[in-house]
Amino acid sequence: MSDAHALEHHEPVTSTGVPNKKILMWAFLGSDCMFFGTLISTHLIYRKISATVNGNYLDIRDIFDIELTSFSTFILLASSLFMALAVSAIHKGNLSSTRWMLLGTIIFGSIFLACQVYEFTHFVHGKENASGDLEHQLTLSSYAGKSDEPGRDAELKPHVFGSTFFVLTGTHGTHVAIGVFWLLGWLVYSFTGRMSKADAMDIECCGLYWHFVDIVWIIIFPVVYLMEYAF
Amino acid sequence: MSGHSEDPVAEESKRFFTFFNLSMALVAITGLEIVIIYVQTLDGSTIIGTLFATSIVKFIGVVWWFMHLRWDKIVNTVLFLLGLVIALGTYFAVIYMADTHPEISKFEVSAIKDVWKASQKYEKDDYVVHDGTYFVANLKHESPDTFSESIDGSGDAWTKIEQNKVPHQFSWVVSHGDLIEINSQKDGLSFFKRVLDTEQEDISGEKVYLLDQEASTEDFRIKARSESYWTETVQRP
Repeated sequence: MSDAHALEHHEPVTSTGVPNKKILMWAFLGSDCMFFGTLISTHLIYRKISATVNGNYLDIRDIFDIELTSFSTFILLASSLFMALAVSAIHKGNLSSTRWMLLGTIIFGSIFLACQVYEFTHFVHGKENASGDLEHQLTLSSYAGKSDEPGRDAELKPHVFGSTFFVLTGTHGTHVAIGVFWLLGWLVYSFTGRMSKADAMDIECCGLYWHFVDIVWIIIFPVVYLMEYAF
Repeated sequence: MSGHSEDPVAEESKRFFTFFNLSMALVAITGLEIVIIYVQTLDGSTIIGTLFATSIVKFIGVVWWFMHLRWDKIVNTVLFLLGLVIALGTYFAVIYMADTHPEISKFEVSAIKDVWKASQKYEKDDYVVHDGTYFVANLKHESPDTFSESIDGSGDAWTKIEQNKVPHQFSWVVSHGDLIEINSQKDGLSFFKRVLDTEQEDISGEKVYLLDQEASTEDFRIKARSESYWTETVQRP
């Protein structure tokens, strides 16, 4: 629904011609762009500083599971379609369709989160090699532990890739989790019998947030994951 | 932006196909990205360029249609672009300010095997080997005819170094950095030295260290750091 229709039917008139809630959401998304911009920039700058294990650099490609990440990317893209259709349905006053589309978005968002939890768990614990030992672990930078180098008790493990990777993708995952809870709230609300077309702007704001989370992943997927296979 | 006269329900119904088509296009473009990575026929910069272009297309697609900017007032687009432009500005600023990897252009380690010679000028801290034993010069002098005279005559011309120790000449040239460390990679040879701990440019250094056994350049690793960037002689696999 356009701003004009929103103002015409449900929302109070504003001097900007745009509902206040919507303008607030766009302002928030603009600020969130800056937030993710700094995280992505930091990762791109430090991505080459990976961990060393017994003097050898850790190859990030040995850690990544690109099939799983590709699957979760498709899932998140599909959830955006459900979200757009949920917004469309509530504007049309189709409560049943709104519920189903909200449920679809929640399920797909949850699958994405489950994939991320699985991925993080495996990255931290590493993979078993042929002799059954764990290797290819991706952790945060740490100033502790036994050094690989003789004559040193401890050293700063330069797992900078791990730090920027987990902070960036973890922050995105947190955004997705917030979105899932927000949508869940609307789904529960829809069963109270109080949901109507008057709530369209609120759900549209929720949709804007969800699509934003999607576009952030659209950047993260090639920049963080695929780029590691390019060089 | 749409006009007031259009029926909102009919308008939303028309958008269903737009959303569906866009979603299919996003899936197809993402599939293309993965195929490009899997096939690996293009060179690195072409892949990066392609990923950059496809991401921009997908980004615009979602923002323009899914997020309704296509139909909304321009103020929403301006607000979002404001954040986006600042984010891009931050990115380029950080890239501009970022440090670079130090370059290690020279790193050599060799055992000192200079045999003591008569009538030779020696500087303080010069190392020589005589009859299988290592000595270090305590002062600048010209050596007499025999080594024993050298010790007995001046009294403190040479000092015998610790038994089973072998002096090694370490030399390095590094472009810039704030930390340089050298450590042994050889089994049974314990060695770790921090040879620089302040920020410098055009670094070159030479130093003699006494080792428990004879070793060569390949038995050591030099690591140079500049801010968070590390470079070392061990090559990436």
